[in-house]
Amino acid sequence: MMRWTLKSLGTQIASTLASAGGVAGAFLFVLFLEAVFLGESKQIVAYIEHMEPDIWVMQHGVSNMHMASSFVWDWKLDAVVEMDGVEKVTSILYVNTMVRAGDRDWFTYVVGLVEGDKRAGPWAMKSGSASPGPGEIVIPALFAESSGAGLGSSVSVADKKFTVVGLSLGTFSMANSVAFVSFGDLVNILSAGGTVSYGLVDLEPGSDAAAMARRIEAEVEKVSALPHPEFVRNDFNMAMRMGVDVVAFMRVIGSALAVAIIAFTALVQVSRRRRELAIAKALGVTNRSIYFSVVLQTVLITTAGYAVALALALGVAPMISLFVPEVTLLVSTGSLLRMGAVALVVAVIAAMVPAYMVNQVDPLTAFQG
Amino acid sequence: MASSKLIRADGVSKHFGTGHTQVRAVDGVSLKIGYGELVLIMGPSGSGKTTLLSMLGGLLRPTQGRIEVAGTEITVMKEAELPDVRARLVGFVFQSFNLMEALTVEENILFPAQLIPGGIAAARPRARELIERLNLRERRDSLPKTLSGGEKQRVAIARALINEPPLILADEPTGNLDSRTGQEVMMILFDITRDENRSVVLVTHDPRVEEIADRILWLEDGKLRDRKSEDHSWVRDPVCGMRIDEWTAVHTWERSDSKYVFCSARCKERFVEAPDQYVNA
Repeated sequence: MMRWTLKSLGTQIASTLASAGGVAGAFLFVLFLEAVFLGESKQIVAYIEHMEPDIWVMQHGVSNMHMASSFVWDWKLDAVVEMDGVEKVTSILYVNTMVRAGDRDWFTYVVGLVEGDKRAGPWAMKSGSASPGPGEIVIPALFAESSGAGLGSSVSVADKKFTVVGLSLGTFSMANSVAFVSFGDLVNILSAGGTVSYGLVDLEPGSDAAAMARRIEAEVEKVSALPHPEFVRNDFNMAMRMGVDVVAFMRVIGSALAVAIIAFTALVQVSRRRRELAIAKALGVTNRSIYFSVVLQTVLITTAGYAVALALALGVAPMISLFVPEVTLLVSTGSLLRMGAVALVVAVIAAMVPAYMVNQVDPLTAFQG
Repeated sequence: MASSKLIRADGVSKHFGTGHTQVRAVDGVSLKIGYGELVLIMGPSGSGKTTLLSMLGGLLRPTQGRIEVAGTEITVMKEAELPDVRARLVGFVFQSFNLMEALTVEENILFPAQLIPGGIAAARPRARELIERLNLRERRDSLPKTLSGGEKQRVAIARALINEPPLILADEPTGNLDSRTGQEVMMILFDITRDENRSVVLVTHDPRVEEIADRILWLEDGKLRDRKSEDHSWVRDPVCGMRIDEWTAVHTWERSDSKYVFCSARCKERFVEAPDQYVNA
């Protein structure tokens, strides 16, 4: 049966390839969508991932940075720095707002840096200064290229003009880029004197971050303190949650498309092979064996489609990022495995459609001339 | 006690439809066929020959009556049990060959072997033997589309024999062949009956087979009756010159008040393409 099944697929190579191609397209669509969301979500947390303090201290009840707002009195961070085991606390102000460069608006994390402090600033520069002074701003290099801006150009944040003094790398995201201004400028924009948004706490070597976070929350009134990995995880999950419904919906659409394509192919295969199936039945092949043959064909087509989608996703994704750097694509193992499981389910569901037809094939038709 | 007959059919009927539209394709047929017999079932078109053959092969369930093949009463078996009976006890030879297009000659011959214990591996020596015997050695790895009609039918016969069933059911096996190839196929079936003690039940319109048949059964309006020798009306096929019984012939063509009778569809096709070539010859 196996040989007959495989060779039958081979004799209808055009429809088999077309079907596998269609399935690959449907899967690729979902894989790329997931890759875009995952890549962008990863890029959204790029800033906090690169800062990597031991503990993040913030307003009580806040547990991440993306789309959050946090204000903590600066004296509370002074109290943290006095605690045993704390080596250093770096304060930043932060706001999610639009930055206008040229004629384009970019949704951006604007981080206010204490003058001269490089702890919380950009981690890689293309050109210019990484430490903005009053009236100065560091923007992502990609952001500048896309907007026709450069060093010395003027951009505005909340209607206040800033001069671009630095172009940073790795800080661009289509959803949320990161720009840096001086702490004082952001205080003025936010009218937030005497407060900071987050404290980046570096501990002395050998200290336990989780225990220290608990101590900070216990000893400093109305602040939240989270170890770095937990803070990053919270932020990433928050970013993902914003796209997860869309991805899930698209996954259903893509899977349904794949089911439709494979089911249609299986129906066509059964219709074309109807006479041979009747002959096989007349010779003594059972319905179950014939159904197995149809399932095997759908599984093979689905697997071929999945393999093509996999190869394209892994091979083409880096090239897309190379030619369209604004888009960050991240193809994860989890997403590939998930799609593999979906492919298997798709194949089985699709094979159910022609099962009825297989059952209805009358072996007597083998006698028709 | 084991039956001495390979096939026993008692009061077998097959009705299609109900009420006024009911058709009695086979009506109360009883017959016995022994081991090693070559039996012809003849009759006009639509007389129920193929329906009877299908019931004997376990492909169609009778409306009434019982059929026993090699001591197994197939009419009481469950639907799911019949494929196994067909694979073990019956070899089918069809008019239109019915080979699997994607499989080679050898793979086609071996196809039914996967349905019985031992499978393909155990059947390979038998397949080689049949390939030799039916003169298919040169075509062993060929696909059906590259074979002639005669070669296709020889492959179909080899496929029917691979599982060594006691019964071969052949439905118009020469219907799509020219007279010479048809004769060759008939002689193969005759040899199978004689050499391997298998029973062959043949539905055909080909009168040449009468000479090699042990028995001829005449089916008309769904009932079996004896065939009388004076019922013959011999004429010549204008293409191949073969003697044909006009009374039973199915391949006929009328032109200018003349009726022509052919031994096969192939001869008829040739005639219809250029009738003057044969009429004036």
